[in-house]
Amino acid sequence: MKSRIPYVVALIGSLLGLVFGFYSTLDYAEHLDRRLHDVHCSFIPGAAPTAEAEACRAAMYSPYSAVMKEAYWGGIPISLFALGAFAFFVGFAAYLLVSGPNAPRRSRVFYGLVGLTPLLVSIGMFTISLLKLGSICKTCAGIYIGSTLLAIGAVWGMFVKAKPVAPSSTDESDERRRVAPTLPMTPAPSGGPMRVIAPIAWLVALAVLTLLPSVVYATGVPDHRPYLKQCGALKKPATKKDRLLSVVTPKSKRPATLFEDPLCPTCKAFHERLVRDGVFDKLKSDLALFPLDNECNWMLDTALHPGACTLSKAVICGKDDARLVLEWAYEHQESLTAAGKAGQPQLRAAIKARWGQKMLTCVDDKQTKETLNRHLHFASANSIPVSTPQLFLSGTRICDEDTDMGLRYTLEQLAPELYR
Amino acid sequence: MSENNKLVGPLVGVSVTLLTALIGLVTVRSAVASAGERLLTPEAEKPQVAVADQAEVSYCTPRFKEVLQRVLHSCGLSGEGQRRGCKPADVKNFASISDEDFNALFTPLKDRGAVLMFDTSKHELDAASKKLLEDRWFDRKGARYFFVVARASKTGTPSKNRALSHRRANSVMFHLKEIAKDDPDLDKKVGLLWLGNEFAQLSKSYCDWNNSRPNKKCGEEPINRSAFVSWVDCRL
Repeated sequence: MKSRIPYVVALIGSLLGLVFGFYSTLDYAEHLDRRLHDVHCSFIPGAAPTAEAEACRAAMYSPYSAVMKEAYWGGIPISLFALGAFAFFVGFAAYLLVSGPNAPRRSRVFYGLVGLTPLLVSIGMFTISLLKLGSICKTCAGIYIGSTLLAIGAVWGMFVKAKPVAPSSTDESDERRRVAPTLPMTPAPSGGPMRVIAPIAWLVALAVLTLLPSVVYATGVPDHRPYLKQCGALKKPATKKDRLLSVVTPKSKRPATLFEDPLCPTCKAFHERLVRDGVFDKLKSDLALFPLDNECNWMLDTALHPGACTLSKAVICGKDDARLVLEWAYEHQESLTAAGKAGQPQLRAAIKARWGQKMLTCVDDKQTKETLNRHLHFASANSIPVSTPQLFLSGTRICDEDTDMGLRYTLEQLAPELYR
Repeated sequence: MSENNKLVGPLVGVSVTLLTALIGLVTVRSAVASAGERLLTPEAEKPQVAVADQAEVSYCTPRFKEVLQRVLHSCGLSGEGQRRGCKPADVKNFASISDEDFNALFTPLKDRGAVLMFDTSKHELDAASKKLLEDRWFDRKGARYFFVVARASKTGTPSKNRALSHRRANSVMFHLKEIAKDDPDLDKKVGLLWLGNEFAQLSKSYCDWNNSRPNKKCGEEPINRSAFVSWVDCRL
C-alpha cells in the first residue's frame, strides 16, 4: 500500500492542475466573444467566477498568458498546454496507482522525471508573476500547487521499491536477479526493446496531449477582423487650440490620440502593456487628459478617482516631460490614490515632494486649468465614451475589448509597423 | 501476477487519460464555439456607456433654452452668420419676453456668473473687474457659451446709454480676447448683448450678486452700470 501513496499525491496534484487549468482556459475562451465576463479567481476549485479578480485579470491580459498573440485574437492560452499535460499526468498516475509495486521501474522513473516539468514551468511563471506582474493570481497558484504535489508524488514514487518477482521464475530476469539480488528488476515481458520504446511512446503521448487542446482551440477561434474598426473614430481631429500634449520619440511613426487618467488602474495597465511591447515609443501621440473626477470633469456626478484633476494638471505642467510625470503617477498610483481620497493637501504634498513647488505653482495656474478644460472639451466635441483609457490610431478608435487580451492581434492587423 | 492483472494498470491509465483528454477537448471546443456564436449575436442588453458631452444643468429649462436659442441665432453665435452681438431693440424683438421674465431667466446663474461694475459714463474695466472676469472665464467647466449682458443706467439719453452699454460689452470682449489669445473660436463662444435703459433693467436686489465692487455702495443706478457675465451650462 505504501508504494501507492506517492501516486495518490501525484494524482491529487495532477487533478488540481487539471481543474485550475480547465477554469483558466474557460475564462480565456469566454472572452473570445468580446464581452465583459467575470473570472474564476479562487483557491477553491470550481468556485463561481467573480468580478473582483484583478490579479487573475492582470495575468490574463499580460503577454505571458498566451502564445501566438499576433496570429490569433488573444493568442493561444498557455493553460491549454497545462490542460493537455495534466490529462496525461492524471492518467499515468492512475496507471501507477492501480499497478502499484507491479509497475515497471522505468515507468516510475519516467513519471518522476517528466512529472517535474510542470513544476519547472510553474516556477518560471511564478517568477514572472512576482517580478513582472507584481501579483499572483489564485487560479495560477492552484496550478503551481498542483504542479508541486505532482512533482513530489512523481519523484517520491521513483524511490519506491518494486515488488520482487517470484523465485520460481526461470526467465532472463531471474538470471539477472541472481547476479544482483538486491536490485528490484523489471519483469521480463516489458524488458528488452520495451525499455526504450515505452518511454518514447509515453513522451510522444505527452507531447500530443499537451499540444492537442491548443490545436482544437486554434482551429475554433473566431475571426475578429471584421470587428476591429467598429468602435468609431475621432469626429474632429485635434488642433493647436485643443492644447493636447505631444508625446513623440525618435521612433514615433504612427499618429495616435490617447485619453488617459493618471489615477485609472486600467490606464496604468494599458500604458505598461504599450511600453512593454515597445509600441508606445512608436506612437506619435497626442495625449488628452481625461480625469474621472468631478472636480473638473462635469460629465461625472461623483469622483471615481478623487485627485485625478490635480494630477492631470501636474502632467500638463510636465510639458516636454509630460510622459515622465504620467509614468510617475502610474508608478505611485496606489499611494497617490490614497492621497487623493485623503484630500488636496496630501496630494499636493506628494506632488511637491517629487516635483517641487514650481510644479504646484503651475498646477494652480489658470492657464493649466484652461488647458485641462480644453482636453475635456476635445473629448466632448468628439463624443467619446466617458471611460479611460482610449486609444485612437490614426483617428480610428481601438475598441475597449481590443486594448487588453486582443491588443497584440489588433495592432498587428491595424498597424503592423508598430511591431517591426 | 497473471498477464491479465498486469494489463489492468495500463488499461486504467490509458482509459483515464483518454477520457480526461476527451472531456477537456470537447469542453474547449464547445467554449470556443459558443463564444464564436455570441460574437455573431448582438447583446440583448448591451450596457449603456455615457458619452462625453457639454454640460446640461437643472436651470436649462425649455423656456430658458428657447430664449437662449433665439439669442444665439440672432446674435450670430450659431451658424456662419457674420453678425456679432445684439442691441436692445433686437433683444426686445427676438426674446419676445418681458423685462422681468428676461432677468428671471438669468437668476439661476447667480452663483455661476458675476456682475462687473463700471464708473458712471465709463466703459473701462478696472482691475477688480478684470480679475473677476478672468475668474469666471477660466471656470468654464462644460459650458459652451459665455454670455455678456451689458447695461447702462437710466441717467442720460437712451441713445447715449445704448452706445455706452455697447462700449461696455466691447470692453469685456476685448479683455477676453487678451486672455484667450489662442482660441480661434472665441467669437463663437461669447454672446454679447447690450441693453440701454429701455429693456431689462436690474433691480436693487441684484446688488447681492457676486460683483466687482462688493464693498461699495450699491443701488439701482450702480448695478445697471454693469456687465453681467456667465458661462451657460446648457446643451442646444
